[in-house]
Amino acid sequence: MTSTFLRRAVLLAAIGLFAAGPVVLFMGPANASNYNPSQTTRKNAGTPNSSIVVKNSSGVVIKYGNKYITYTSPPSKLDKLGQALFMENCASCHGAQANGFPASGAAGAYPDLVGLGPATIDFWVDSGRMPDKDTAAVEASRRQPALTPAQAEAVAAWVNSLSPSPGYPDIPTPHLNRANEASGAALFALNCAACHTIEGDGDALAYSTFAPSLRHIPAFQVVEAIRTGPGNMPRFTGNLSDQQVDDIVKYVTTEIQHPENPGGFGLGGLGPVAEGFVGLLLGVGFLVLICYWIGDRS
Amino acid sequence: MSDATIPTNPRARKRAEGRYGKIGKALDELDDRLGVAKGGRTFMDKIFPDHWSFMLGEIALYSFVILLVTGVFLTFYFVPSSAVVIYHGSYLPLDGQRVTQAFESTVNISFKVRGGLLMRQMHHWACDIFVGSLVVHMARVFFTGAFRKPRELNWTVGLTLLILAIANGFLGYSLPDDLVSGTGIRITYSIVLSIPFVGSYLAFWVFGGNFPGTATIPRFFILHVLIVPLIILGLVGAHLFLLVRQKHTQFPGKGKTEKNVVGSPMFPVFIAKTTGFLFIVGGVTALLASFAQINPIWQFGQYQASRISYAVQPDWYMGFLDGALRIFPSWEFTGFGHTWPLEIFIPAVLFPGILFNVAYAWPLIERKFTGDNEMHNLLDRPRDRPKRTAIGASVLALLAMLFIASSTDVIANFFHVSLQTVVWAMRVLVIVSPLIAYPLTYKICLELQGIKRGGKRKTPNVVSRSVEGEYIATPTPAYHADEEHELTAVPLPTFIDEESETPRESGVRTVER
Repeated sequence: MTSTFLRRAVLLAAIGLFAAGPVVLFMGPANASNYNPSQTTRKNAGTPNSSIVVKNSSGVVIKYGNKYITYTSPPSKLDKLGQALFMENCASCHGAQANGFPASGAAGAYPDLVGLGPATIDFWVDSGRMPDKDTAAVEASRRQPALTPAQAEAVAAWVNSLSPSPGYPDIPTPHLNRANEASGAALFALNCAACHTIEGDGDALAYSTFAPSLRHIPAFQVVEAIRTGPGNMPRFTGNLSDQQVDDIVKYVTTEIQHPENPGGFGLGGLGPVAEGFVGLLLGVGFLVLICYWIGDRS
Repeated sequence: MSDATIPTNPRARKRAEGRYGKIGKALDELDDRLGVAKGGRTFMDKIFPDHWSFMLGEIALYSFVILLVTGVFLTFYFVPSSAVVIYHGSYLPLDGQRVTQAFESTVNISFKVRGGLLMRQMHHWACDIFVGSLVVHMARVFFTGAFRKPRELNWTVGLTLLILAIANGFLGYSLPDDLVSGTGIRITYSIVLSIPFVGSYLAFWVFGGNFPGTATIPRFFILHVLIVPLIILGLVGAHLFLLVRQKHTQFPGKGKTEKNVVGSPMFPVFIAKTTGFLFIVGGVTALLASFAQINPIWQFGQYQASRISYAVQPDWYMGFLDGALRIFPSWEFTGFGHTWPLEIFIPAVLFPGILFNVAYAWPLIERKFTGDNEMHNLLDRPRDRPKRTAIGASVLALLAMLFIASSTDVIANFFHVSLQTVVWAMRVLVIVSPLIAYPLTYKICLELQGIKRGGKRKTPNVVSRSVEGEYIATPTPAYHADEEHELTAVPLPTFIDEESETPRESGVRTVER
């Protein structure tokens, strides 16, 4: 009698403890409530060491870089077109002066774009992330771009013309024929794989942010992302030379975007998860069906 | 005079050679010298009950054979060394990188050795199938109560085989020294470290120093290719010996009792079936290895402690441990001059420890609860033991949820939900789904018990038209194997058994135990 009671009490206590753990954790401090990963006001990424520097008649740098990557400033003749496009597509949030003050709404609710540099503007517009279709999302995702590449360049040109001194980096052109793919593979494993995964498929990160897939990204946008650090991504400036960035871009646009998969179907690059499903469902499942076929039923 | 005894026509010559022809004569010669006839006769007459679920263990046996064959091939080319070399092979993106000899030789097996990639992939797929079929086989044994007296010892041997298979799978997965498996070794090192009091000593002893040492790969190699396979081979022998010695269990049915074995003889029925099955298992493995790429280590690159890839999972059979680690809350405290990493110790050491020990003790536990101390050669239908079936189903539900939890990041990315949401959902599901699985399975079992002819194949109706133009549907008799039988076999007098000696179906015999 008592032993039964004791046994039940112990059992209940064990279940209670087991259930109480998650409850306690639920009530823990929500220390991440004011975390805003979409805040990206990183101004002026600077001009890296360049062997090529071209200035216009008024002494403004319009082209710089080296034999691995050249950065070109969008021509100022596009300013007028860019302003029109900006008013049409961007000003409702970023404001008529691109400083994050919309005509109606609170100041500081949207990023200030002045001085960010043409590459940043070009990347966000040309990858379809801006104009934002889903403002409630924590992180903007890649979409079919609303503006053409030339229009994106025009917007970048106008925004760049607003700042007293021009922002950097400019829009890059990587020269992939000079790149070393093997060095890129090693640099990719060291700098990129921790978020984008070693196969470049991207993955979910904390608090609804994610590292996007690298499977369908043009080479110049990879450079833009590395040099400007969009969203949650770190901005790589000093620690990667233009040559190293060029190597990474080469690796991404060849091996990541067109993997060789000599062993058969690549199974989506999902690694052991997909392999386990195939092994269990196709392998073991098929063999069990064969058992059922050749074996007897009683 | 000799002319008279040599038969000239072919028929007479054949008659003179004896009933079994030249092969029979050769066997006769062998028997004269080694005396194999008596034992051979017994072996060939060995009766194996026929049921498709009795062949699940054979998948494991034959995939183990494939593992041995392909594994031997791989050892010809694999270099178990952590010595650093500069890679200058045929895979361009790795050219000039500093890699270990283990990694270099595995890439070379894939790209340089003729048939090497096929062998590597067959080895890996066979491993996935091996452990998978062990689990399926074990589930069959559990749900049908085949582990009961007198087969508790064989249950223990089988469970040890499963644990060794998982361990050896992990060891082999670690050998190429690529980015993904190196992360796995790192996690395992931390798990060993988390064991209270002895953890750090144990980790240094097992891995030969601090992580990442140079001793790991050679040690894992010799364990993977010699020591563990040898133990597995020995235990497989013991497993099969016990099976032959105790004779296979059978499902209850007409003419099947606790005292007899009804089934096909070893020769010619069973041996034909099982040999065919060996080739089928080999063929399926080869097909998978030809068409589905597994573990492309050249895409991962060499493991270095400073490199890490996201979305790294272990092979599927370690998934439940990885899942438990991922979703367990971060319970860690510092006290008595030490850090107590309960967040690792509980899910990765305590939980599997409890799981496998309960599994070892299960025959004893069940006997204690049922008080059943009888010999059991007839199997249970799972529905007739609803509590046991329900317990098994809830454990499988728990493990399945933990397995899914090992891919929280992939799920979050695929369905575009927050990683935190997925983690919390899995925490709830891991606790809730066994609690749902138990009553659900229990109820289904009770319902199935009430269904007449449940699970039996339907037979066709023969529709005939009478002279008057009337249509009559006549049900055809049930398939032989599906005939209604008393589930509890009635003890029959022995003479009745002897009376029913004539086989009811070609190739089916009944013998005494």
